Formats: sequence, C-alpha cells, structure tokens
Amino acid sequence: MIKKFIHQFASPKTYLFQVDRAYPYIFYTSLSIYLVALFWGLFLTSEDFVQGNSYRIIYLHVPASFISQSLYLAMAFASAIFLIWKVKLSAYLVRSIAPIGAITTFIALVSGAIWGIPTWGTWWAWDARIISTLILFIMYLGLISLHDSFTDNEKADKFLAILVIVGSVNIPIIKMSVEWWSTLHQTASITVTEKPAIDPSMLYPLFGSIIGFTGIVVCLVILSSKLQILKREKNKSWVKDYV
Amino acid sequence: MKLLKFELLKLRKKSRGWLGPILVFVLIMTAFPLTVEILNKDIDQSFLSVLWIATLLVMMLATEDIFLEDFNDGTLEQMAIKHNSLSGVITIKIFVYWLLIGLPISLLGALYGFGITSSADLAIQLIPILMITTYIFLNVFSFGNALSLTKGSILGILITMPLVLPLLVVLGKVVIVINLGMNFLGFLFLLLGILSIIILVLPIIISFVIKAHLE
Amino acid sequence: MKKILVAENLSYKINDTKLFQNLSFSLNEGAAIHILGSNGSGKTSLLKIISGLTKQTKGEIEKNYNKDICFIGHKNALKQYLTVEDNLSLLEIEAHGNLKSFLQLLGLDKLLDVMVANLSYGQQKKLALLRLFLNNSDLLVLDEPCVGLDKKSQDILCTFLSDELNAKKALIFSSHISLDISSEVLQLDKA
Repeated sequence: MIKKFIHQFASPKTYLFQVDRAYPYIFYTSLSIYLVALFWGLFLTSEDFVQGNSYRIIYLHVPASFISQSLYLAMAFASAIFLIWKVKLSAYLVRSIAPIGAITTFIALVSGAIWGIPTWGTWWAWDARIISTLILFIMYLGLISLHDSFTDNEKADKFLAILVIVGSVNIPIIKMSVEWWSTLHQTASITVTEKPAIDPSMLYPLFGSIIGFTGIVVCLVILSSKLQILKREKNKSWVKDYV
Repeated sequence: MKLLKFELLKLRKKSRGWLGPILVFVLIMTAFPLTVEILNKDIDQSFLSVLWIATLLVMMLATEDIFLEDFNDGTLEQMAIKHNSLSGVITIKIFVYWLLIGLPISLLGALYGFGITSSADLAIQLIPILMITTYIFLNVFSFGNALSLTKGSILGILITMPLVLPLLVVLGKVVIVINLGMNFLGFLFLLLGILSIIILVLPIIISFVIKAHLE
Repeated sequence: MKKILVAENLSYKINDTKLFQNLSFSLNEGAAIHILGSNGSGKTSLLKIISGLTKQTKGEIEKNYNKDICFIGHKNALKQYLTVEDNLSLLEIEAHGNLKSFLQLLGLDKLLDVMVANLSYGQQKKLALLRLFLNNSDLLVLDEPCVGLDKKSQDILCTFLSDELNAKKALIFSSHISLDISSEVLQLDKA
C-alpha cells in the first residue's frame, strides 16, 4: 500500500508541477522571515558581554551548520526510499541535494572561521566539530564526484544511495565528537532537551534565522532538483511540453 | 574452504599484490625516522601517528585491485552465477588479503615499535591492535574500491577516507592507553566491536554494489 | 517434456533505451534456442537476465532446473598471470575424468605449464570453453561461443553441443556464425 502511495505521488511530473506552484510562497515567506530575523539580530539586540559584536555572525553560522547536517539526513532518507521502493524521484533528489549540501557546509566552515578570529584568536582549530564539518564537506564533494564518474545514471543512483547511507554513520559521530574531545568549541547553543544557554533576546532571531535560512535552502534544493529532473527525463514527452 | 584455497592461490601468485604493499610499509616506516632530527627524543611520540597513517595508506594501496581484476576478466561474473552468497566470497577474499598483507604488517609494525621506542610492552600491545585495525581498513577500503570499481582508486579513497577517520580518532587514544597503562583490554574490545559490526555488514553491502556493477 | 525455462512478456531497457519488449519463449530439455539480432539488440542482456546477473525491467521468467547454470560470456574468467594448470584448478575442473581427452582434442595438452598471458586469443577461448565441455549443469548459456575459434574447434563445439542436447540438456546461445545444431531461432530485432 505504501508502495502504491509513494509511486502515485512521487512521479517526477507531479512533483515538478506541485513544486512550481509552491515555490514562490516558500521563497518569499522564508526570505522575509530571514531578513526580519537578521534585522532583529543585527540591530535590535544588545552586544554579547564576552564576545562583543562578533557573535552576530551566529545568524549565518548556526543556520548553515544546522542545514548542512539536516540535508545529509534528508539525503539518507531519500536514499533509503530509493533503495527500498525504487522511487526515481528520490534518486534525483539525492543527487540534487548534494551540491546544495556542499555549499551550506562551505558557508558553515567559512563563517565559523571568520567568527573564530575575534573569539578564539584563530580561524582554524583542530577541533572535532570543525574537522567533522570539513569531512562532511569532503563527503559531499565525494558523493558528487562518485555520481558524475558513472555514465550509466541508474548505476550511479544506486551507488550514490548506498554511499549516502553508509556515510550517514558519520552524522551521529559529528554530534558525539564534541563530547569525545574537550576542545575550544563551545557545545551546541540550543538543544531540544535543555534550557538554552543564550539570552532569549538573541534566541528568537536565531530561531527565525534558522527557519528562514532553511526555507531559502529548500528553494535552492527545489531549483536544483528541477534541473536534475529536466536533465534526466529530457526524452519524455511531458518534459518537452513543459519546456 | 575451496574458495579460500583459490583466493590464496590467486593472491600468492601475484607478488606485486601482496609483497608490494608490505614493502611500501617497510619503506615508509624506515624513511620516517630520517625526517626527524637524530637527537630529537620526540620520535617516540610521533611513531604511533606515522604508524597509523602508514597502515592506512598501505591498506588503501593493497585493496586497489581487490575486485577490479576479477571484474575485468569475468571471474566475478562466474562467482555471482555459481555461488548463492556473493557476500561469503567477498568475506573470504578480504580475509585472504588480511592474511597475506594485514597480518605481516601487524607483526612488522610491532617490530618497528620495538625498534624505535625500545619498549617491549608497546610492541606486544601493538600486535592485536594492528591486527584488528588492518582488518577494519581492508574492509572499508574494499567497499570504496567496489563502489569506484572501474573508475580508479583515487575516487575510492576520496569516498572512503572520511569513513575511517573516526577510527583514526580512536587510534589516537592508543598513546594514552598504552603510556598510562589504562584499560587495555577494554580498548581492544572497543576495536573488536567496531570490527565485528563491519565484518557483518560491509560484505553484504559490497556484494550489493558488485551485483550492480555486473548488470 | 520438462520445461527448463519459461519467459513471459520480458522487457528490458537501459537508461530509457528499450532493447526488447514483451518477449515470450520457452525452452524444453533437449532443445536449443539460437538468439539472433543486430548489434545492440539486447542479446547479451537477455543471456545475462537468464543467468540471473541482470534483472528484467518487466515480465516473468520461470526457471526449472536444479544445478548451476553454465554461463560462457565475453569474458574468459581466466587469470593471465597463472599457468594453464592453475587456471584449471580455479575453474574446478582439474580432476574431471574427461579433462585429458578434451585437452588433447583442443590441442592444449602440451601447454599446461604455460602462463595464460602467453597463449593466443583462440587458445584462451578454448581454455575458457573447457568449462563448458566439462560442465555439470542442466542449462547451458553461451554468448558468442565461436568468436576466435578455428573451424576445427567450431566443429568440436558443435558435436559436443549436439551430444549435450541428446543428453536432455537445454541450450540457449547467441552467435553470428551459424552452428550446425538443430535449434529454434529467436529474433530480437523489432519487426
């Protein structure tokens, strides 16, 4: 039953038309949320007692690192669906998420480095979380090059999905590594279970920025997946009509 | 049992396949003290790091054509048709590689450990650690080379190197464990735990990958 | 008559290129099917589907035999850096009773100590075919078995296959060279 359901709603064609309709709403809503959060965070909150103004890069750094990991989870999820139910759409999604994941991971790394200079006095530290983010970045690039090195797309999809799932072992290790290694990096500022360690006046814009940034990234994924679908299904008659 | 014999015969007769990696290991471990100033006492400490990296590199080299040759000449095709469990074949293949490459390197590594740090304790403790580590590396890199089968080993390394880095983190703690005489058995069991998960899971995944290649 | 293979409505496509569609046939014991078709019509793919290496896109294939398939493909499954003798043991036929006579028949008996890499292409092909001659299967799947064989070896192959068919084995093969055995023809090209 689940299989039937998925196949019915996961045809690339239905997806493309649905997504086309939803795209402007998602884009403008999340862009405005992000801008409001950014304005609030940058101009309406007070300086941090210890870190001064430099902490304000948090509104880029935290959303980017959050997204970079979430995207990998999304890929793992889509890969599982692809391998179990052979849904082509999820294979397209995996391939189209990978470059976006690489970009957000890169943003997280660079913004972290910029933040590190005034705060820690160094732009790079051999810290578990920084290294795991770098590894995540390399993994994204590895996934892309694995897929691109096969001319047979169906094989490439299969291998990519397998590697994504095997690689997802790395995500919990990224989380755990902070506890493994006592280092310079502060532990996560927001956790689900505990009371946040930062001031509420910073927390709301931070949440806003995470939500807005997520929406923008979702839009990027949509664009990239559209490209992927049109490229891969270019021989289908509906694609010719669509273009 | 027959399979084990065949795989042993295949690897044994191809000396560049097993002797090559061992010699590369010897070369790296011999060359590394030359890069350190002779009066420098820190060589003891850097020894273990170099040992792990050398092991890692050599295991990468060793698995380079673990499946490629059998794929190109059609042996894998025949195996997939004949044997119900391709993952069993793969397990045996990796075991043979460990027997002819991983095991000698474990002993050599311990020998170098004794030679460089002149601590017999360290050398003896290194043997089981290296035996387990080489086996894990061989499995993981076999996976990478199965994925990138016809696309060269650089791709294989690029995609599997991130997977073994957590293991390197664990190995980094060996210094503490050995030097402070901390719970050595517990540490060994941790490695054994990682190994047993990998031995159980990876051959199945690899066989899945190889079947996709054979299509 | 026992049916070894029954295929119903087989379809296969690679990356949206349809190779064959709704192919139905059955293979009885003691019978042979000769697959014909131009390059790229899916002969090798069909043989791979039958041997279980590839999965068809659509359709069912019912297999009804006990022992392994004997599959001879384009690749020889020989180890270039091993001697002929070692290769025979890898093929698990070194102890077969008829090995010696077949080696003599194919002119390979003097080459046991020679490395496979030093054999000619035709000789390697003959060595690979030994796996067929000493097979222990009910179903023989051959993909272009005659490529590189001289006339004499082709005749040996044909005689052998006829004998096998008389011994109630089933055979499915593709070949551009017509073999002198009674067989049904399965045309793969679109009508």
